[in-house]
Parts: sequence; structure tokens; C-alpha cells
Amino acid sequence: MSDDRLHSAVRATGYQREWFQHVRARGAAGEQIALVNADAPHEIFRAMGIPYVVNQWWASVIAAKRAAPASLARLRALGLPDTNRQYDALALGAQDLPTEDAPWGGLPTPAFAVAERSGDVTAKIFELWGRRAETDTFLLSRTAAVPALEGWWDRVPHDWESVFGAARVDLLAAEIRELITWLEERTGRSLDLDVLAEVMDLANRQAEWNRRTRDMLAAARPAPVAVTDSIPSVMIPQWHRGTAWAVEAAERLHDEVAARIEAGSSVAPRERRRLMWIGRGLWSNLEMYRSFQEEFGAVFVWSMYLAIAADGYARYGGDPIRALAGRFVGLTDLLYVPPMSSSWYAKEAVAHGVDGVVHLVADDTPGSAFISAALEERGIPVLEIRANNADSRSTDEARVQERIAEFIRARVPERV
Amino acid sequence: MSADVVVGVVGNDVPRQLLLAAGAVPRRLMGSWSGSIDETAAEMLGATDPVVARILTDLLAGAADDLGAIVICNDSQAHLRLFYVLRMLSGTTLPPVHLVDLPRRDSAAARAFTAEQFRATVDVVSTITGRRPDAASLLAAAESEARVGGAAALMRDRRRQSPAAVSGTTALAANLRAMASSPDDAVAAFDSAVAEQPVARRLFMTGSTHPDASFYDAIEREGFTIVAEDHDSGDLAWIGVGVTSGDLEVVCAELADHHFARDLASPVALIADRARSARDRAGAAQAEVAVALLRAGDDAPAWDAASVRDALADMGIPLLVRTVDVGDDSAAIARSIAVDAAEGVAA
Ligand code: SF4
Ligand code: SF4
Repeated sequence: MSDDRLHSAVRATGYQREWFQHVRARGAAGEQIALVNADAPHEIFRAMGIPYVVNQWWASVIAAKRAAPASLARLRALGLPDTNRQYDALALGAQDLPTEDAPWGGLPTPAFAVAERSGDVTAKIFELWGRRAETDTFLLSRTAAVPALEGWWDRVPHDWESVFGAARVDLLAAEIRELITWLEERTGRSLDLDVLAEVMDLANRQAEWNRRTRDMLAAARPAPVAVTDSIPSVMIPQWHRGTAWAVEAAERLHDEVAARIEAGSSVAPRERRRLMWIGRGLWSNLEMYRSFQEEFGAVFVWSMYLAIAADGYARYGGDPIRALAGRFVGLTDLLYVPPMSSSWYAKEAVAHGVDGVVHLVADDTPGSAFISAALEERGIPVLEIRANNADSRSTDEARVQERIAEFIRARVPERV
Repeated sequence: MSADVVVGVVGNDVPRQLLLAAGAVPRRLMGSWSGSIDETAAEMLGATDPVVARILTDLLAGAADDLGAIVICNDSQAHLRLFYVLRMLSGTTLPPVHLVDLPRRDSAAARAFTAEQFRATVDVVSTITGRRPDAASLLAAAESEARVGGAAALMRDRRRQSPAAVSGTTALAANLRAMASSPDDAVAAFDSAVAEQPVARRLFMTGSTHPDASFYDAIEREGFTIVAEDHDSGDLAWIGVGVTSGDLEVVCAELADHHFARDLASPVALIADRARSARDRAGAAQAEVAVALLRAGDDAPAWDAASVRDALADMGIPLLVRTVDVGDDSAAIARSIAVDAAEGVAA
């Protein structure tokens, strides 16, 4: 089956391995490396030339390499809980694994750990990183989603000040300036605002390619690309946001998808059901998605990764620091806070012509009931699964695969 | 002041002075350790602190009928979720909801943001009461909150006496009553907390916030007196604080300063701050033993426990950690605490 994988996905995955070994080499040579949460302003590190690894990506590698149980055991041994916020804490637990057990040779000791204070525990996890001898922590504020507009996707690229509220942008922009000073003091480098502006521009161009790709996929019948392929094709470049490589990768994905549509390619031999996946991917079980194609002609045609890359990231205008604050101030709220989230998922479901939705509800995602309700209101059946994707114990418990199969049989009729 | 509007408050970040000056009486909505959780409430909130699910259960059942507004603090993930849910439900049978969103990391920008949050809260409450705070109402509110603060401090001192002159159960009940009352009633609540106590082992309580006194009562029945704590309905309750000024700008700015100086409950605090505050507070209260009650669904305190234990060990105070699941019996947990404390088991 791997011969029909997206070349973009194969290439991105290969690039990521090569890149990570390069980061390891730089770390081993004494360079300062950063560990950053997904919702931190990466562009600052990019513009300052500080190599960074994204906590959630690294957690996905740990989970995929089946090192999660051993990593959680490390947390337990320190008297820390292993039953909440596992995903955010996996990297912390994995850091003390013996080298032979560490995925990909292990993460170089970070000099910097940077996150926004989201939820009750993220700040504490990053605080614990800062207790490690060679790591300093910087925490940014996370303000709540006030206001919260429906229909934000048309406005947010240019009108982000009013979509998120100027006061929130003010606070985060001020803290980003503090972060810059903090990094400058510790690295001896300085941030060049022109370089940051260029990084922001590259990130916008990446988002533009992703938007075109998403629009094409929404209109395509049948689906030409497996969601398991589009996820790495989008996400890996997202972690390289603000580089020329990432823009090229987004363009390549676009061109490859266009060629597949042109050639009439289809993920399933006969597409009989179009499904949408809401929530984080089940990284440890990507083959599962394929089984539904074979058994039911059911194709997952959507994931939030491409869609949020298409709608959530572009920010034009303003000084680059402020625009960067405008990118991150409410990015995750777009996915999780109703009515921003619910109206957006419903828009995407309608645009992609989906027949049913599988909604993975993690313990840290608020507002899921309103997302499900908005979809059901439009006549789209929803299966809610409560599980935490980083922890195979809880996904096993949820019998994910059987429940999706039951859902398809019972609630998602075949297209004729 | 007979026509005062009652404003429901969820969380510990709302300066009472602002609400009082705008002609409202704040009433903290706490939820409870036990009791049923409405299925709709659970679905809308997702997996979260069951105490907050009970607040929503109560609100859906009509507990908000006499409230002019509900002000919710972004001081835990559960409270924030509650706000998001209530905002979606607004326009139904519920009163208007408003979020108070205070940063935790101190900076000039964070103080400005905080002061703006306070001003916005005043605006919302004033719209409902029809009364803008003026110099007279700001000064009167500052004075009455200062009286509340004085009475609360005296009660804290009584708890710190050796032997303690007031039980933890009585003190917690007084705090809970005060947080739901006008200043006069709050002062009365603190002043009347004078119950005579038998000599008992002095216990410091850390971990989750206590929405009611059921666990305090159960634990004290086992021969302890809870002399201090570091959660939001006890010694960390933000009550009795007023800024003596008739200028709203000054009041908001100085309340913001005060905000960044206080100790915070687990969901918004760093581990190191929790450990330091536990050590200082347990030490000052001459605690002999400490208990961390970690409520399942309230994720943060479990991350503090190891460091809190180490900090208390420096003072020679053993920490017993207990997780409380929905349906757990407070008496049984209290019994096991007594057994372990007697055997010198600190886990
Ligand atoms: S681009 Fe990279 S991944 Fe693709 S075939 Fe060439 S070497 Fe392999
Ligand atoms: S440019 Fe990227 S891929 Fe090339 S060596 Fe450097 S990190 Fe590795």
C-alpha cells in the first residue's frame, strides 16, 4: 500500500528525520536548542536562528516509538502524576530514558523551554523543565477567548486585532518582546525585525498554499488523498514554518494533490462514505484509517491539521511582533472554543460534503459538545469518543476501531 | 442599599470592592464535594472538575434565578470551560455572564491588562445595577471590605493560637458564608467563628479547593484541627481587600498590584510557589501534619504534591496525600488519614 503514499508525506517524513539528527548534532556541538510548545511563537526562534523542537511533535514521536509507557513511568518515579496531561508531559518523562530506549537517539538537552500557560498544568510541566540543570523556562500568558466570533475565518487574516481583541494582542506582544530580550541575553544574538518580517511572510505564503490545497480537496470527489498522508504533509512543514523549505513543501503538496485530482485518483476503490475526523490524530494507529476504507468504502476526507493550516495561521499587516501575537493569541481557541470552533467545523463539514464525523474528545479539549451539536443540527451524524491520544492505555479502553465501525454501520448510510 | 443586585461569582479573582461599589452584592458559587451531576452539564463541560460540573448542574436547575449576572474567573480550566458553556447558553434562562481573565505572570503589560479586566467588570455590573461607582461608593466599599478583612484576620489568628480557638470546619464555613454575603454579614460570619476546641493535632490542608466543609468536618472528627490551608475557600480567599480611593482608575490599578502579590491556588500557580507558600503557611500555623486532598478531575494539585512534600519535610511536617474520586466517602478517607498520621506514615 505504501506505493500510493503521497510523495510529499514521504519526503516530509524523511526531511524531518534528517533535520532532527542535524539538531542533535548541533546540540552535541554545544549549541543552544529550544523546546517549545505548539502554541508558542516559534517564529522568534526561527528569526534568531535558534533550533527548536516542538513539544507535541516530539511527544508524537515518543508515542509512535512506543516509548510512552516508559516515559510516563519516569514521571511516576518522580512523584508526578501520569494520569493527566500525558501528552504535554511525555517529553519531560522521556528525557531521562536511557539513550538506547530514547526515540531517534533522544532530544538534545534544551537550553530553553517555552510555552503558553494554557490549562492548569502546562505551566507546571514547563516549570519542571526549568528545574533541569541546563534548561531555563519562559512562560507566556494565555488569555481567554473573549470575544469569540462565528465566521472568523474570513476576517482573521487581516482583521485579527478585532477578531481577538486589541487588549489580548497587546499583552502577548509585550510578553513576546520580553521573550526576545530574554533570549538575546542568553544567546548573545539579537533579533533582526526584518528577518522576523521575512519569516512572517514565508509563513503566510505557506498558509496560502495550504488554503488552496484545502479548497481543492473540499471540492474533489472522490477523495484523492488519505488523511494519514495529508497529516505529515502538512504538520511537518508546520514545524518548519517560516522557512523556504516549508513554503516549497506546502506548494509541492498542492501540486501533488492537483495532479491526483487531475488523474482521477481515489483513496478507496469505490468511495461510498465521506468522513471527517475531529480532534487530534491517533498517531499510534494510523493503519486504522485504512481499514475503514477497505471495509466500508469510508474515507476520512478531512483533518483539522490541513484545515487549520489553511484558515488559522495567515496574519497580514501590523508590525511583525504584533502580527505574531495576533497569530498565537487565539489559535487554539479557534479549534476548541465555541462558537468559534463549532461554527468552523460545521462550515468545513459542509464544504467537504461529509456524511459522518468521528469526534475524538481529549480530556483537555473544551466545548466539544457544542461542536457535535452544531454538526448534528446540520444533519451530520457524530460519534464522540473520549480518549487521550498519547496514551495507548486509554485509547485501547475506548475500543476506538470497533466503535467507529459500529457507528458507520448504524448511522452513516452508503452514498448511492 | 435594599435594592442591591446579587451577582454570582465563580472563582477567586473578583475584588469584592468593585462589585459593592457598583451596587451589587457578590455571592460566591462554590458547588459541592458530593451530589448529583446533571447529564447535560457533564456533556457540555467534558471531563472536568466535578465540583464545577455541580455548579453548572445547580445553575441549570434554577440556582441563578435571583442573580443579576454571573462573573466567572479564568482561574482554572474548569472555570474557564464553565464560562464558555454559559456564554453559549446565554439568552436562555440564565443571566448575563462575564469573564474576569487575570494574567499570572507579572509585568507592566499584565498589570495594565488586569486593571482593564477590572474596569470591564465594573462596566458590566453597573449596566445591570444601573449604578456607576462614584467616589463615595468606592470609599464606602473599601471601608466595608477592610472591616471584612479585619474580621477575617482575627479569625485566622484564633486558628493559629495554641491550642486553636476555632476549628477548621468552623473557619471554612465562616469563609464560605462570608464569600456569599454582604460585608456586614461577612463580618458577622467571621466574628461568630469562635467555637471552643478540644486539644487536637494541628493539620495543614493543601491540594484542591474545598467547596464545602464536609471533608474538614470528617477529618476533624478524627482528632485533628485544621489550622491553616492554601486553597481558595480558606486562607487564600480573596476577600476583605479594598483600596482606599474614590478614583476608579486608582482602585483598579492598585487592585491589580494586589493581585500580583497574593498566593495563588494550584491551577494558576507554579509548583515552586505552591511549595514555598505551603511551607510558610504550615510553619506559621505550627502544623504537625499536612494533608493534600487531590480531587479527581482537578488536575493541578497532583503536580505540586511531590515538591510540597519536600518543602514541608524541611519543616519536619509529614504530608499525607489522598485522591478523592467521585463517590468516595469522606469519613473513610479521614479514617485512613488518622491511621497513617498515627503510624507516622507519610506518603
Ligand atoms: S524526495 Fe526524499 S523521500 Fe522522496 S524519494 Fe527522494 S529521497 Fe526519498
Ligand atoms: S538545512 Fe535543515 S536539513 Fe539541511 S542540514 Fe540543516 S537542519 Fe538538516
